[in-house]
Amino acid sequence: MKKQVLSCTVNDEAVEVLVRPYTTLLDALREDLGLTGPKEGCGTGDCGACTVHLDGKPVASCLMLAMQARGRSVRTIEGLAKTGQLHPLQDAFVRHGVPQCGFCIPGVLMAAAAVLAENPKATEQEIRYGIAGNLCRCTGYTKMLTAITEVAGASARGEG
Amino acid sequence: MAVMKTTRDIKGVGDPIPRADGREKVTGAVQYVADIQPRGLLHAKLLRSPHAHAKIVRIDTSKAKALPGVRAVITAKDMPQLKKKAPTRAHAVLAIDRVVFSGQPVAAVAADELAIAEEALDLIEVEYQVLPVAVDPLKSMQPGAPPVAEAGTEADTSEALAHSAVALTSSETKPAKAVNISQQATVKRGDVAKGFAEADHILEKTYRVPMVHQGYLEPHAVLAQWDTVGNLTLWASTQGSFNTRSEVADVLEIAENRIKVIPVECGGGFGGKIRALCEPITAELARVSGKPVRYVMTRKEELEAGMPAPQVIIKLKTGVKRDGTLLALEADTILDTGAFSGTVLAVSAVFLGSMYKWPAFEIRGMEVLTHKPSVAAYRAPGAPQTIFAIESHMSQIARELGLDPLEFRMRHLIQEGDPMVNNQPWQSNGAKQVLAKVGEHPIWKGRKEWAASGGKDGRGLRGTGFALGGWLGGLQPTSATVRLNPDGSLNVLTGQVDIAGTNISLAQIAASAFGVDFDQVKITTGDTDSAPLTGLSAGSKTIYTVGSAVLQAAQDARRQTFEIAAKEMEASVHDLEIRDNKVVVKGAPDKSVTLASIGKKGNLYMSKVQPVLGTATPAFSQQAPGFAAQIARVEVDPDTGETTLHDFVVIQDVGKAINPLGVEGQMQGGAVQSLGIAMTEGLMFDDSGRLMNPSLLDYRKLTAADLPNIETIIVEVPSPSGPFGARGVGEPPIVPAPAAIANAVEDAAGVRITELPVTPERIALARAAKGNAS
Amino acid sequence: MRRFDLALPESLEDCLKTLAGKPAGAKLLAGGTDLLPQMKNGLLKPAWVVDLSRVAELHKLAVEGDELHIGAAVTARALELDPRVAGRYASIAESGALVGSVQVRNLASVGGNLCNAAPSADMAPPLIALDALAVIAGPNGRRRVLLAEFFTGVRRTVLGADELLVELVVPDPGARSGGNYLRHTPRRELDIAVVGVASQLTLGADGRCAKARIALAAVAPTPVRATAAEQALQGQTVTPELIERAAGLAVEAAKPIADQRGSVEFRRHLTRVLTRRTLTTALARAGALARASA
Repeated sequence: MKKQVLSCTVNDEAVEVLVRPYTTLLDALREDLGLTGPKEGCGTGDCGACTVHLDGKPVASCLMLAMQARGRSVRTIEGLAKTGQLHPLQDAFVRHGVPQCGFCIPGVLMAAAAVLAENPKATEQEIRYGIAGNLCRCTGYTKMLTAITEVAGASARGEG
Repeated sequence: MAVMKTTRDIKGVGDPIPRADGREKVTGAVQYVADIQPRGLLHAKLLRSPHAHAKIVRIDTSKAKALPGVRAVITAKDMPQLKKKAPTRAHAVLAIDRVVFSGQPVAAVAADELAIAEEALDLIEVEYQVLPVAVDPLKSMQPGAPPVAEAGTEADTSEALAHSAVALTSSETKPAKAVNISQQATVKRGDVAKGFAEADHILEKTYRVPMVHQGYLEPHAVLAQWDTVGNLTLWASTQGSFNTRSEVADVLEIAENRIKVIPVECGGGFGGKIRALCEPITAELARVSGKPVRYVMTRKEELEAGMPAPQVIIKLKTGVKRDGTLLALEADTILDTGAFSGTVLAVSAVFLGSMYKWPAFEIRGMEVLTHKPSVAAYRAPGAPQTIFAIESHMSQIARELGLDPLEFRMRHLIQEGDPMVNNQPWQSNGAKQVLAKVGEHPIWKGRKEWAASGGKDGRGLRGTGFALGGWLGGLQPTSATVRLNPDGSLNVLTGQVDIAGTNISLAQIAASAFGVDFDQVKITTGDTDSAPLTGLSAGSKTIYTVGSAVLQAAQDARRQTFEIAAKEMEASVHDLEIRDNKVVVKGAPDKSVTLASIGKKGNLYMSKVQPVLGTATPAFSQQAPGFAAQIARVEVDPDTGETTLHDFVVIQDVGKAINPLGVEGQMQGGAVQSLGIAMTEGLMFDDSGRLMNPSLLDYRKLTAADLPNIETIIVEVPSPSGPFGARGVGEPPIVPAPAAIANAVEDAAGVRITELPVTPERIALARAAKGNAS
Repeated sequence: MRRFDLALPESLEDCLKTLAGKPAGAKLLAGGTDLLPQMKNGLLKPAWVVDLSRVAELHKLAVEGDELHIGAAVTARALELDPRVAGRYASIAESGALVGSVQVRNLASVGGNLCNAAPSADMAPPLIALDALAVIAGPNGRRRVLLAEFFTGVRRTVLGADELLVELVVPDPGARSGGNYLRHTPRRELDIAVVGVASQLTLGADGRCAKARIALAAVAPTPVRATAAEQALQGQTVTPELIERAAGLAVEAAKPIADQRGSVEFRRHLTRVLTRRTLTTALARAGALARASA
């Protein structure tokens, strides 16, 4: 099984890396590119911990082969904001005391960012369904909803 | 420049401060075990038995060893220290000649790639002789049932005491009896027969709760590496690095100080990452291969072969007078512990018989072995299942007698000083205050209107329910040190794994106790080489015990600081206080010396001043019980049984909310785990002992779309023994929801579900059986 | 997952050539949401996987004349959101919207859902109820199969090892047609159907039912049509009583098994309830669409 060349864009940078054909996108990001933000919680698309953006859309990266990302654009939690800065969602999560164990957080933030990118004035119900693919065992989701709704509201008011 | 603060104004205990590692967590910078990628890393995979009970006739690993890229293949033959009568699950590293649950490890592989390790498993040939299985605990406890353990297995109660410091005294515990009964105990008081004879109302029901998985998002993970002189380092996802070290040392028969456990950020534990599970085999693979080896369980392995909460069956019978006077309670509790003993039997008795004042009771508890994966703790082990029984029962009694369910409970609720079932007195607690808040809540007050609005205009059937539960609080000795740095800042060192965000609270406690702002304090979780002995992050006891240790160590450091300052300023220690990072003589503000100067002197060449190092090594004997009540407002689809949770409230006595933001998070998270047990979760085994739902598709955890926002109400009834009055917070909120939901569903849909989870199927079929059309 | 080789064809022709050259069998990969979990669980261990993400023809979604063409690789999310998959085709969007979670829907393909052929395949009933045709390409050219006849057993279809599903062709049912897909799941997202029902009613100018289609998922080895129920509605004025009768007939068409998701009794009960509800909605939508286009 020869390795194959994966050429794509990751977090706004052109990337060219040799990957094994049977490597998932999640594993390629974590092990070949050192981006360990996306996590494996189940490997079967049932928990959302591996959520990344593919051409701006939230996907379960554990269900994609790395080579399926060829020629496309991938964004992980590490690329949600510019280095040293925080995306408004990240900032809101910190202020509201959202992260507990932290394992689900990168996936939740990527899902939430996708909801707001598609629908900046999303209602709480729409946000709820937008992160329904992300399991969290520590927080009970309430503070997440509060934080994301606050950012959506701020954008509705033209702030942040 | 910030305004100078007095000690009264310091940011510390009681402030809702976001935890310090929040930024690292939202940027994906925090590292978990699977994120650590050392050079030369090998990947481990375990071959697991498909059979729940079988003899191992033959294992041939030769083809696996020959696969290029495979660096080690191990069976029990390669580990002479393994014992046939494995005393605990952790000791059963690899099956020797018999497997006792489906999923039990039989061989282990380390390879260059995970894919190669998987292919190597395919190449290992195992011949099994399948044996009869004991899966249903009610059958397994009968004479003649297929045996699970080797003869002479003793009950394992060591972990139980760390979780909940209530043990039944030896006179109450009987030795194990029939083949698969591994623990047995009875508590009684008064004359139950007489009580039933005098009763106007007798209610007898059987409640069932399946095994549930703790559900942490990060699967078990460990990285092992040996150095060249026989020292082992383990990077582990664990709730207690010292416990892990002890267990691994015991299993592998090496000295504890030859092992260093580094507690890496833990992606959730909830009791499932206390006992050693993957560490011994990973260490062995690392030893044999001479390379660092990492093992991460798949989700399927977690569900099939983790350490879930026990299945519980409670047969409960009560006798009361028409006016609700309590007379007698009788119960049989069966805990299905899987293939190895390890349940907390005493908890069930306490919560069945000690919540309300039953004049006569007899509670018989039994732990039964079955050919299923053995259990471990899950957040308030035994309590959600037990409270499901007693709180479902109390609401039914009230309904059948036409009594108000809240007033009925309030009338008979225990108070401080009342005897628990084991005759220990109840410590100070806020049960009454918590229950009172239920009565004040608009959702409870508006329950009649809510019910009346249902069942018409396309709406489902509407109802409201509540339940009261709690946790006694675990105890474990622990230690902490507080160091004054040459610049006046503080370093606090514990071995405490920070899962629940307790480190920020510890910083707040240290800051408030010493007398500085919390951002002057750095909390470090050390490894087992560098940190003082610390207990488990479990049992809702982290703030209670480690917080106390930090408090006392900070006070010790403050005392030492005062002694040094007193000598310097020729003042009495009693006249000193700390303000704005200076030690000041009260009433003489220009007589002061900075903390920095004291700290510097303790580290200066040729100085005669000692460094300030506060230490504390407390042990504890008093618990601080925490009670929580939960109210559920539901709507039930009359045809499909689908249940929508409209509102959910958690009311909890935390003694003192050291960090309200953290406390709310614990209340909400625990509540949603409780709701999962109530509504959707359960490990389902078939008759041969295989798990039928080994994926998160069919082992259903609640998503954000299934839930409303969880409302939290913090009650503070200070504990006389906790730091600043704090009680344990983590466990009480997982307890009440199953009963609250069952009560709400009965209120809405007219059916009483006594088996968890309360699924649409159970509701729909119960209604169809009842022939109810309303 | 075990190791395998990966083919990256750039066209449908390429793809067919690759398949023909792998007599031992190869697995086609579109969204991977069914294939990868099965490979990770060791249920499938293919030596070759063929990635379809660059085969443009499979990703097409278009209205051509009086047909809606849905490429096999079109995602559930695309079907959920595309404005052309609405109105009379609403049940297709509804089934797309129910698959997994948004992260799964952005990957999951309608072709994958159908070719995986689980009894609970959500996207099958609405397409069957709309008389969709499956267009299959092979070494000898193309053929069309009525979707209702595409499934031959649990995880088995009419596809040969050297064939692939190219697109679904959905004929326009007309302006007076409405449909609805409902399924019962214990959770609101990330779940799989315990029972799924799609109903499509097309009314005549006289307001009576000109055509009725009811398709059931998860109550038989394959998705099935409840033909007796359909016939009871055909040519009749659709009333609540008739709907109830049809729902009862649909239960007779269901042959559910008990598994970890539901008992036989509950599945039969749900078949009746969901048939009743989807027929009621389909009727209302057909009427509304008829009035809107009048």
